[in-house]
Amino acid sequence: MADVEMKPIDESKKEEKTEEKTDSKEEPKKQPPSVPEEIKTNVALIERAVSTFEPRFTLRVLRTLAALRKRLNDKVLAEAVELVYPPNSQTKSILLSWIPKFEQTMDVDASTTSPAPTPRPKSDPVPEVEIYLRLLVLHHLLTNSSTLPQALKLAGETIEKMQNLNRRTMDPIAAKIWFAVDRTYELAGNLADARPLLLAAQRTASLRQDDETQASLINRLLRNYLFYNLYDQADKLVSKTSFPISAANAQHARYHYYLGRIKAVQLNYSAAHTNLQQAIRRSPPATTAPGFYQAVHKLSVVVELLMGDIPERSLFRHPVLEKALTAYFEIVQAVRGGSLSQFQATLSKHAAQFEADRTYSLIVRLRQNVIKTGIRRLSLSYSRISLRDICVKLHLDSEEDAEYIVGKAIRDGVIEGRILHEQGWLECGAQKSGYGFEVSDVFMRRISYCLELHNQSVKAMRYPLNAHRKELDAAEAARQREAEYLRQVGEDGGGFDDEPGIGEGY
Amino acid sequence: MTTQLGVLYQELLKAFTSQPSDLQKSGSLLAQLKIGLIDAGLLIPQEGVNPQDLSIAREILEIGAFWSIRTKDIPSFDRYFSQLQTFYNDYSSVLPPSPREFPIRGLNLIRLLTQNRIAEFHTTLESLPLPADSFASNPYISHPINLERWLMEGSYSKVWNAREEAPAEEYKFFVDSLMGTIRNEIAGCEEAAYNSLPIKDAATLLFFRSQPELLSYAQQRGWTVDLSENTITFTQKGEEKVEVPKEKLISANLLYARELEMIV
Repeated sequence: MADVEMKPIDESKKEEKTEEKTDSKEEPKKQPPSVPEEIKTNVALIERAVSTFEPRFTLRVLRTLAALRKRLNDKVLAEAVELVYPPNSQTKSILLSWIPKFEQTMDVDASTTSPAPTPRPKSDPVPEVEIYLRLLVLHHLLTNSSTLPQALKLAGETIEKMQNLNRRTMDPIAAKIWFAVDRTYELAGNLADARPLLLAAQRTASLRQDDETQASLINRLLRNYLFYNLYDQADKLVSKTSFPISAANAQHARYHYYLGRIKAVQLNYSAAHTNLQQAIRRSPPATTAPGFYQAVHKLSVVVELLMGDIPERSLFRHPVLEKALTAYFEIVQAVRGGSLSQFQATLSKHAAQFEADRTYSLIVRLRQNVIKTGIRRLSLSYSRISLRDICVKLHLDSEEDAEYIVGKAIRDGVIEGRILHEQGWLECGAQKSGYGFEVSDVFMRRISYCLELHNQSVKAMRYPLNAHRKELDAAEAARQREAEYLRQVGEDGGGFDDEPGIGEGY
Repeated sequence: MTTQLGVLYQELLKAFTSQPSDLQKSGSLLAQLKIGLIDAGLLIPQEGVNPQDLSIAREILEIGAFWSIRTKDIPSFDRYFSQLQTFYNDYSSVLPPSPREFPIRGLNLIRLLTQNRIAEFHTTLESLPLPADSFASNPYISHPINLERWLMEGSYSKVWNAREEAPAEEYKFFVDSLMGTIRNEIAGCEEAAYNSLPIKDAATLLFFRSQPELLSYAQQRGWTVDLSENTITFTQKGEEKVEVPKEKLISANLLYARELEMIV
């Protein structure tokens, strides 16, 4: 299973990602094979996958995609195509025509740099290879904005080809192709146009039980809807489709993230929180996909605040998150302190960032939580406080407002107490004792979290092949010992009185 | 667009914009127009229609939406709004923006608010074609947003004061039902937060102008009014009896046992 290949979710995140990666990634590694060679090995793997019907090999190839993508250029792509295809193959010339401005110089390069190092293949490789190469070319075209129109054309053609071929061994590659296609449309700025295409493909994929593609497409569609803030449609899509369980972890993580966003907008915070937790747990290590990691955490911090919880301090010290979450940390401080003015100041200070993260409207909803926290703090520290003082301390606009707000807080069970209208003060009641039946609810929540974690980890476990052989041997030995023992018992005359079943009376 | 449709449209414009507008006539014209629009394939726009016609179709539907509000027909408003969404969302690149778009979107938000559909309110808000931090500068949108915020935090007096600041005539239609909602909210809060209140203060808190109004309301909610002392005493719900949620506890415990069994 391709567990840890996660591409950044959008352009801005990609930038963050590369930024942070520059220092860690540039460390000297052992010399990797040159790109054309690597592609050639990959092609061999794909062919093996096709001939043995073993998608594992294809997945292994696709796992290298993220790394490989960064090293592509016109020259190596053309070389790779030359290496893989026989000299006068038709597919080769089609593929080469997609690789930008290389037709003229190619011959020279091919003859100088690689003077026929390997025997040329005799016939065209399987169609999967062509699609794989198209995927590489497509990714390469995406790196440059001037080749975008060409990428769009290639995307359209590749999809058509893929659907005409209709081969099950192609499914894992197809899932990646869809990602690239969607990305092409997004970069070209007409994501909405891709929607009918994706929807049709999703239908086909689910009819063919093509889990990989289906998972990829559902995520693409959700992303598409959320990009245009079409939460209703996204919600309907989620309720009408079932996400394949066998999909890769990376797809699961994305799916949960999108679900979390939809639920948060619908005010279903606890469900959103569960989904985001899943997304965090399923996501690859923070350093591999920092963009995704940060995006999920941003949302999860806000959702936690909306639920009335305060996120842990240690979260904001995480090396990957520290810088990205600064603004959110300030919001948390404001909510924790129950200070409306500080909250407003922070909100307006970081408005642009929140808007870019698309959490602005969620954060605005926090206002009432800030007030509630403030009142709660006051009610804990005073046994009696005048409405005037509440108004001043919480920076409310008028005493009249304060009275209504406190009244609502009492009704909602935020605080215990009574308002004495004639005297104009709030008398705070005793706090409820901490032991009631609601405690069992809290326990229930925690226990089910632990159980869920346990079950998920059991599911995620992988067992080495034939490891049970040893145990079987051990069991076999034990059985023999037991037989031996029984035999001995029998030889002794079986004179155990309390041994049921083999007594003499029977 | 046929000439007949054009004539009807002109008539509708005249009937609707005249002071005071002729609601009955507009209604019958709207019904005819809708049939006409369906015939012309404009009600649910098909491929390859003239943008000019589309914007007229949009205008007819917009008038229909306002007309529904004025005739206090909320389900009809709902229908017009769903039909308009196609024009606002899918044809936004083809059609020039309509000046009535945001008033109608705002009205829809208020409608959701008065019906206490808060989740939908927020979903709709998210899908507005505006960046979230510019909501405040759009009067039609900021009005419902402020109302929602005040309702949620409990600043009822602000809601009350804002009822005169509606950015469009149609918004006032919702004010009454909104006031009913907040009065019930306040009453609920008072029952929980006060032991008793002087009648005069209770009237101010509940925004009643006269005592009889208050008294009938108090009767409705079952409050004890003491006229000699001029106070209202709220019935104490008493300490709620704590009931052990037996079934829940049992099923939870069984679940733990089963899971433990699987683990061990």
